[in-house]
Amino acid sequence: MPELAIGIDLGTSNSSVAIVRGGRIEVLANAYGETIMASAVALHQDGTIVVGNEAKANVVNEPASTVTSSKRLIGRYYFSEEVKKARAICAYEIVEGPEHSVRIQIREEVFSLPEISAMILRELKAVAESRLGQEVTKAVITVPAYFNDNQRQATKDAGRIAGLEVLRILNEPTAAALAYGFGKGLTQKVAVWDLGGGTFDISVLEIGEDVFEVISSCGDTFLGGDDFDDRLIDLLADEFLQAHGQNLRQDPRTLERLKQAAEKAKKALSVEDETLIELPDVAKAADGSSLSLSRRLGMAEFSKLVHDLIQRTFKVTDEALQQAGVLARELDGVVLVGGPTRLPIIREAVATYFQKQPKTDVDPDVVVAMGAAIHAAELVAPQQQAFLLDVTPLSLQVGVAGGFCEPVIERNTPVPIEQSRSFTTVQDDQETVVIRVYQGESKRAEDNELLGQFEFSGFPRARRGQVEIQVTFAINSDGIVDVTASEPGTGQRASTRITLSSGLSDAELQAILSRNRTDRVLTEMVARAEEAAVPHAPPPEPPPARTSATRASAVRPGRPAPVPAAAPTPPAPVVEPAVAATDPVVEAAVTAADPVVEAAVTAAAPVVEAAVTAAAPLGEESIELDGDADEIPELEVESDLSEAEMDALIAGSDESLSGAAAPQAPAPQAPAPQAPAKKEGKANLFEAVGTDLADVPGGHDDDEEIELA
Amino acid sequence: MANQQIAELRALANIVEDLDYYQLLEVERRANAIQVRTAYHAVARRFHPDRLRQESQDVVSAAERIAKRVAEAYAVLRDPRRRKVYDQQIDGVGGRRLALVEGGAQADRQVSDQRQGRTPNGRRYITLAQADLAREDWPTALRNLQMALTFETDNAWVKEKLVELKQRLEAERKKNR
Repeated sequence: MPELAIGIDLGTSNSSVAIVRGGRIEVLANAYGETIMASAVALHQDGTIVVGNEAKANVVNEPASTVTSSKRLIGRYYFSEEVKKARAICAYEIVEGPEHSVRIQIREEVFSLPEISAMILRELKAVAESRLGQEVTKAVITVPAYFNDNQRQATKDAGRIAGLEVLRILNEPTAAALAYGFGKGLTQKVAVWDLGGGTFDISVLEIGEDVFEVISSCGDTFLGGDDFDDRLIDLLADEFLQAHGQNLRQDPRTLERLKQAAEKAKKALSVEDETLIELPDVAKAADGSSLSLSRRLGMAEFSKLVHDLIQRTFKVTDEALQQAGVLARELDGVVLVGGPTRLPIIREAVATYFQKQPKTDVDPDVVVAMGAAIHAAELVAPQQQAFLLDVTPLSLQVGVAGGFCEPVIERNTPVPIEQSRSFTTVQDDQETVVIRVYQGESKRAEDNELLGQFEFSGFPRARRGQVEIQVTFAINSDGIVDVTASEPGTGQRASTRITLSSGLSDAELQAILSRNRTDRVLTEMVARAEEAAVPHAPPPEPPPARTSATRASAVRPGRPAPVPAAAPTPPAPVVEPAVAATDPVVEAAVTAADPVVEAAVTAAAPVVEAAVTAAAPLGEESIELDGDADEIPELEVESDLSEAEMDALIAGSDESLSGAAAPQAPAPQAPAPQAPAKKEGKANLFEAVGTDLADVPGGHDDDEEIELA
Repeated sequence: MANQQIAELRALANIVEDLDYYQLLEVERRANAIQVRTAYHAVARRFHPDRLRQESQDVVSAAERIAKRVAEAYAVLRDPRRRKVYDQQIDGVGGRRLALVEGGAQADRQVSDQRQGRTPNGRRYITLAQADLAREDWPTALRNLQMALTFETDNAWVKEKLVELKQRLEAERKKNR
């Protein structure tokens, strides 16, 4: 039997799994015939875990125990802006873990982000296994090109927790380019314009027969379709507040209903010019009568609402083209990736920008999974037909005296790559240096993402500047960073992978593996076992609302109700995938218009008569929501950039791109072992040798700076 | 992968430190950007670590060593600024490797040196010429740049500005006629 390796698109909002078999790409569908699965994880009271569209539908009932958009949190620090924002708008509880990491608490249990992602991967793995009728252990998992080392490492950990050998962490736009150009013998320069649920990426590639070379890659990990939904939620909630004096954002369940309504309206506007948003019985008036929300939304109004978000993508696009040294009109094609690119307003904006119609013959929802599958198959094949040459999208920098950074590997450098730099001590008889590694484009350390730090000691004592320390940085093909330090004088080596403050230590990873909570996921096969156990109710009519009036709105139109997780059922025995083998494998031909395949497959999904899981009592777990907390800061709307603006944009990309210029306070909260280190008489600072730091304020002014840093 | 290719790969990994970037990519010193890119693809294709998953660990790490140096060579030779610094380095007594950030920074420094001038007299005339250019007093700027060039005969910035200025004056003459 040939070795099988799957490709997984682990998205912010939705995920997919695909495989290449017999020279064909198949996007694998779950038991409901769905090739696109919501990246949602519901943790039920009884300890069972349900993943996917069913979990997402359940979010209005159990918002506090359903995790959505967790990719926005993976690999981040608790004090980061993104986590702060998530804490304000998420109904599930986000808590701080060891070393400023992020954890999610559901009832009494605390989960790391890689564990949550692993549950999604576990479900996808099960879908693949039931479709293929054999065990699958190898996978290529995609990440946004602009993901940093922490986020990549955390994703890789997730794969491991899910029982997968991760052959490669592949950039999403690169995967999309592969799906677009593989085996076609093209010689083209293309842009992949990828707007996902939570992130935006743009890559410029040169495709030459069997080579896919990424020339540049830029992105914004704080921008995606979710932000479009948030705008709409704000509009609806603000209007309702004005009309009825009630803040719909205060009740987590109502907020979830709003979110779903917003997403539905956005999707409707991808095919229609106008849509009606209706939320019956959304609140109660002072006199006890029920209040409903009904609002017409036209394309023009929606377009105005998200105009600045779209402009932001083009600022990033400008940057990517500039880095690649190409003009928009010189490109042979533009490939669209991600659900939001179905919106006509986006298609038009892209067409105008690039002066050409974007390629629409590849399904933007599954193209990434398809590309991942192609690469996975290539990696296990004895003979390769295509080579990927990728770049690192973020500059790798080292912290130096004065709170500044010195680049070691600049962004858009081809990978794998290795570079060394020399540093010296800044104090007499210094015994230890702490090497702090950042990713980002700013000269100021605090504006970049701190990947981690490690100590180097054991070199001979000498006067300051006399000890030379050589630090070698390597980035591998997964985009993962490795750092080694040595002292050429004695040849001593200190080698360590960057210790991720936001990641999992090896011990934690081992503990997670041995606890194996992902086993509680009621995977596809288990669901089928229940299906078999339950008498088939005839037609796929949505069931009457049971738990609350919101039930109906939770069910997507045109689909049968999802099978509710039969509440207190212990994980059923795993059924042999014999059932699966007879099921039609859903093929996403490259031209498929609609990836969601219904009919035969869905008709088979029975409506289960079991009780819908009781809505979780909110009690203490409900979170106070600040009405304004989820407001998105004002953004620049101008499309024409002056050169100065462009420079500012590039120099401080984080700040100007996210618009979150709010004075961050990571400094006090940031992993700051400086203080204890100082007590022990260690000096943390060192500066670059052979680098002109004279014009950097504080660059040489070490004695005072040591107190600070 | 055939045994012969593996032997070739091991041999290359052993001498990779001794090769300059042109030798690594197997291109001539005067190769243009397209030739550099084609060469990068060819070498990357031949020794891509992805092709070696079935091979032993030492073969894979040899391939990775080569891949890193090939990427570095490409990052330097495709970038005109870095390539210029690198050419000067290998023509002189410098090593066969160039730190990528150094290459960029050094090129920036060279440009800024040239813009400011390296000699006292050169600096004086360059400063004057810059003021003339800002005022759009083209004939005076031309004279001052020509003066600056007599003190710094290899100043590329001055040369470049002079060519620009001559073209501009020529165009204006045609228009006035």
